[in-house]
This record gives sequence, C-alpha cells and structure tokens, in this order.
Amino acid sequence: MAKLEKAAVVIVGAGASGAVYAAVLAKTGKKVVVLEQGPDWKLSDLISSDFWGRRIKTAGAPFILEGKNPMGYAYQSGWGVGGAALHYFANFPRLLQNDFKVKSEHNRGLDWPIDYKDVAPYYDKVARDVGVSGDAKAEEIWRPAGAAYPMPPMKTFRNGEIWLKGFEAVGIRMVPAAVGMNSTEYKGRPACIYDGWCHVGCPTGALSNPLVTYLGDARKAGVEVRAWSTVTRVLTNGNGTRVTGVEYYDQKKEKQFQPARVVVLAAWSAQNPRILLNSANGAHPKGLANRNGLVGKYMMTHFASGTWAIFDENVENHMGTTGAQYMSYDRYGKTSHKGAFGSSFIVAGSALKTSDLGGFANARLDLFGADLHAFMKRAARGLTRINAFGEEMPNIENRVELATDKDEFGMPLGRIVHSYDQDVSAVWNANFEEGLKIAKAAGAKEAWSGRGNIPTIHLMGGTIMGTGAANSVVNSYGQTHEIPNLFVAGPGIFPTSGASNPTYTIFALSLRGAERLAGKWKTIVA
Amino acid sequence: MHELKRRDFIRGAALGALAFTVGGAQVLLTAREARAQGVPFRLLKANEAETLEALGETLLPGARAAGISHFIDQQLSVPPEEALLEARILNVKPPYANFYRAAIGAMDRASQARGGVRFAQLNTIEQREFVDLMRQNKLDGWQGPPGPFIYLVTRSDAVDVVYGTMEGYESLGIPYMAHIAPEKRW
Repeated sequence: MAKLEKAAVVIVGAGASGAVYAAVLAKTGKKVVVLEQGPDWKLSDLISSDFWGRRIKTAGAPFILEGKNPMGYAYQSGWGVGGAALHYFANFPRLLQNDFKVKSEHNRGLDWPIDYKDVAPYYDKVARDVGVSGDAKAEEIWRPAGAAYPMPPMKTFRNGEIWLKGFEAVGIRMVPAAVGMNSTEYKGRPACIYDGWCHVGCPTGALSNPLVTYLGDARKAGVEVRAWSTVTRVLTNGNGTRVTGVEYYDQKKEKQFQPARVVVLAAWSAQNPRILLNSANGAHPKGLANRNGLVGKYMMTHFASGTWAIFDENVENHMGTTGAQYMSYDRYGKTSHKGAFGSSFIVAGSALKTSDLGGFANARLDLFGADLHAFMKRAARGLTRINAFGEEMPNIENRVELATDKDEFGMPLGRIVHSYDQDVSAVWNANFEEGLKIAKAAGAKEAWSGRGNIPTIHLMGGTIMGTGAANSVVNSYGQTHEIPNLFVAGPGIFPTSGASNPTYTIFALSLRGAERLAGKWKTIVA
Repeated sequence: MHELKRRDFIRGAALGALAFTVGGAQVLLTAREARAQGVPFRLLKANEAETLEALGETLLPGARAAGISHFIDQQLSVPPEEALLEARILNVKPPYANFYRAAIGAMDRASQARGGVRFAQLNTIEQREFVDLMRQNKLDGWQGPPGPFIYLVTRSDAVDVVYGTMEGYESLGIPYMAHIAPEKRW
C-alpha cells in the first residue's frame, strides 16, 4: 500500500452531489480527491444507442433485492464518472412547500429540519450554475416567486402538445417543464437539437451532466478524480471522534488508504449506508453514524403511472428530449386523490426510442410475434405517453443492510428490502384512472395504462436528515450528527421523497452543504 | 480482447460493432454478420443457442437472422461492466450467463414435460402457445427464473437486435438522429 498525500477532502462518488462538493471546495483552494468506482467517461463515450447507453448504468457489486416490491435500482443508477447524472433526463422540478412538514401537517411521514425557503435560494443558484430552461413565472401558481430561469422554455413537439386539450378538460394546468438543458447557447455550451438521446448520455454538452458543469469546474480548479477506485470503509481515529480517510481498492485491485481531513460520502443512496455499515469499528460497533440504528433506514422511491395513447396523426415521437415538455403540480397536494395519501407530479411529452425500458416495444408488453411487429409500425407514427409520478412515505422497514455474501474486495453485499404500502397502490391507481380520462379527452384513438408491477424510480433515503441524533443520521447540511468531519450527500439525506424528480434538489442541497462546509471549515476540521 | 488492440476496440465500440473471434483472431462484426458467417459461440452450447434463437424468433420474427444468439453469447463473454444487455438494467445479478442458462434450462425442461421435446423442436404454433403461457406464468411445474421475467428479458433482446439498430429504425421510418453514430448502422 502506497502512502498517499493527505487531502483536505476526499469525496466518494463522482455523480451529481459529489461533483458539487468538489467544485465548491476546490474553488476555495483545498486539495480535493474524488474516488469513483467506475470508469472515467468522456463526452465522446456517449454513443447514441440504447445498447451502448447501458455501459454507463449500474455495474460493480450488485445489491440483493428483497421485499414485496423489490427496489429495481439498475436503470436509475450510474457507473463511472458523472454517475447517474450522466444519463438522467434532466427534468428539474423542485420540491414544494408542502414537502417539508408532512409530519406536522398530516401526522404522516417525517418532517424536514428545514423549509422550502431554505432551499429556494440554492435552486436559483443551481439554475444559474448549470443552466435551466423553463418559465419560473408560470410555476408561481404553485410556489413562491424566485429568480427567472436563465433560458426560455425548450421547444415543444406534437407528442407533447397533443395532450394539452385533455389536461385542460380534467382541470390540470400544464406549464413548460423546467429542465437542466439548453434551449439557447449557455456558458459556451450549445443549444439542444432535440434528438431524444438524453437517456444514454448527451455528448454535445446541451444537457447539464456533471462532466460539463460542476465536475468540469472542479477539474479546472485542480480536483483529482481517481476512476476505478472502490471505497470499502471510512476509517476513524482511535476513539471514533473523527474520520481520518477512506480505504479503497484501486484499478489494480490493490488496497489503498487516502487520508483526508473531511470525508464526503456521495456514492448514492444505497451505497452510502453500505459503506457506513461496513466501517464498523470498536468505537462504532454498529457502523459509523449509526448509534441510533438509522443508517440504511427509510429507503424511498417514486413510482409512475404511465398512460400510453395512439393518436391518428403523426406525433413525431422521435423528436424532443427524453424528459418532459410540460409539467404540472396540480395533483401535488398530499390528499389530491380521495382515499389516498401522497403527492403526484405530472409530465407530458417525451421523445421515444424503439427499445430499452422506455421504448415503444415495452408500451405493450403483452404483444409478441407478428402482433408486436404490427404494433411497432403503428407506434412509430402515433404513440405518445404521459406520466404521473407518485410519492412514497418513509417507512423504517424499507432499508439497506449488509448481507453475508461478499464482493470481490471482501465487502459484504448490500441488501435492499422494500415494500410499498396501500397508499402507494391507491395513488398509483388514481393516476391511471385520471390518465385515461385525459387521453380520451385529448382525442386518443387508443389509450391504455402501463400497468404491471408498481415500478421503483429514484432511490432516496437511507441516511436521512433531521433535527438531531434521535431521529436522523445527518443534519440539514449532510453533516453526520456523530462525527463532525463526516458528511453524506445526495438523495439519501431526503427524509421524505416528494413526487418530483430529485436531481435538482440533490444539486441544491449539495450546494447548500458544500458552501456551509467551506464557510465553517476551521470549526469543522478543528 | 487482448488480441484486438485497445485503440481499435475503442474505435469500434464508439462506432458500434462487437468483438467476435474468427479463425483465432478478433474482428469487429455486427451480430447479424457474425451469424451469417457462422462465427463459433464463445460460451453458449449449440443446443442453448438453438433454444435462444427459437425463442427470439417466436418473440419477434427476424431476431434469428439478426443474430440474437450471437449477440447474447458475445455479451455473456465480456465482463459484466462492459455488457450491453438489457438484463443489466433489469437488475439481473451478474454473471448474466447464469440467468440465461437457467432460463434456457427451465424452458426446455417445461417443454419436454409437456410434449417430450425441447422448445426449439416444437412447431411454430406450439412455440407461440408455449411463450404465451410462459409470459403469464401458466406453465405447470415450472422450475427456474420466473417465466414472465424470462419473457421480458429475452423479448427485450429480440427487440434490441431487430429494432434497436439503425436498420430497425429505418424499417419503421424513424429518423435515427445520432450524435455519435454506431458503426455499421448497429
């Protein structure tokens, strides 16, 4: 094992949250090392193909999936520098005011230790940093006013526009979707060309993936990104009061120790608890930051009710972006659907491809043989989809824990146990019913619900924030309650999930946490 | 992989072909070309490849000629982190060969229990009926990965090789619009 130079900060994971921390801290002149278990992708690796796009999705040690609704994480997770944000759809909705005090207001779920107003300035900062297109003014029917987005809304296409009549008929207001993409040239990055390959990685730089935003800034500021570096443990001093660095295996699969004054775990909602639990030592026998037993608990996910329709016209469904053209919070109230609890976030208008999970073929999973060929031909012209994403309440039984099987480095595999409750089924069904009404009112020739198993989309929780060690793992800045120089970043710190896509909030909370860390540096490392 | 220079592989990967072994040397071919040239399988046994081809052809006519078995075989032979299979994003635990072998075994056992022959030896009507029952988990005495999941994964493979290619898009009249185009319209 080589003796490595001590870093001010070692960040585990080069995805959305790790990139923000790296950029902010490096700009203050600190030596920052980012360890990433996968490859060091370049924009030129992002081939426009559903096949090749799978290379940037999950790999490494698998998680064992258990429970009534196993958390299918693979499509959502990343592999390599850029993380999941290398292939995300860049939908940039935010959480709303009603997401932050669910326990106080409804006696359900948990409260955040902060409010919307604490995060809002960071939404605005992130929008300026990475470039967001949308109509902030239009969103004020649901949220307090903030800064205008730096770019106007994206272009819309018939595959999105055709739904508007249907939404209007059921009383749902749609506004331009806020997206982390360029509707115009921004900061030297080109405008989007609407070819619909966002989900396999955008090589032009029009979509705000970490390579062209925070991680690019971080590298310019001198951050060292070490790819193929798999972190297995965070180490502490003898009495467990401070972390001293991380143990990892390099590309040659040799064990290394990277000393650092601060450790930031930004390795994803499921992997962060796995590392913390595997870091158990004499001072922390249940794992780091886990005296209360809450590490790994309250894993949450979103689910979607997709309504498919075929219209009797060419909707040009190959055009646009994978994300959304329009969005609505009109069903975001926690009790919007009678007899069900939880928010719903609605989107319309996404570019479709032929294969992969979201492609034409999977719109009718019951078809095969000649019937599937016939459907593909019809779908190519008139198929389009809307989606309503739903909120799952935090449940302590939904968790990540260590299994007995081990990976190639001798680290126990993680096990994710997850089951939905009745409210999820109720919201899921209500959104399907409303989706069919919308499709009918929009004039669809055929419409059907994309049913099957209730999907699991966007992993959150596992290292939740709260007011203290009695109810949470970290504070609102991601700093662990037990060890002041150990931070956790990413969606794992959300105590409730809301129903909107999480990455904008991940960026915002990471920026808030990173600026606090930089601002309180002397106190934190003292 | 060692025989094919990394630079050439990266160039090929960036453009889209897969590395196959022909006459002891590694060359870049599409799966359709590999099948047409009779490239030997790396991992699959002949009967396993035959079952996969028959299943693929039932799921989506044209998948056999598009090289579904060569595609899967080549992908099973590379490290999981390099694999392009939909199994990767459907939470199949690597190594993926374990899943495909278990799936093929389950199908052939069920087919033999029903009619005394392997799946590939059924006629096309029987194969269609078998797949329809498998996707609904209605085959009695089934042992192996769940039938509906086998249907999902292998149907995705069939769609990949038939409609995931540039030719597939062209056949549907859809502009492919690549930023970085796969090689040989793959």
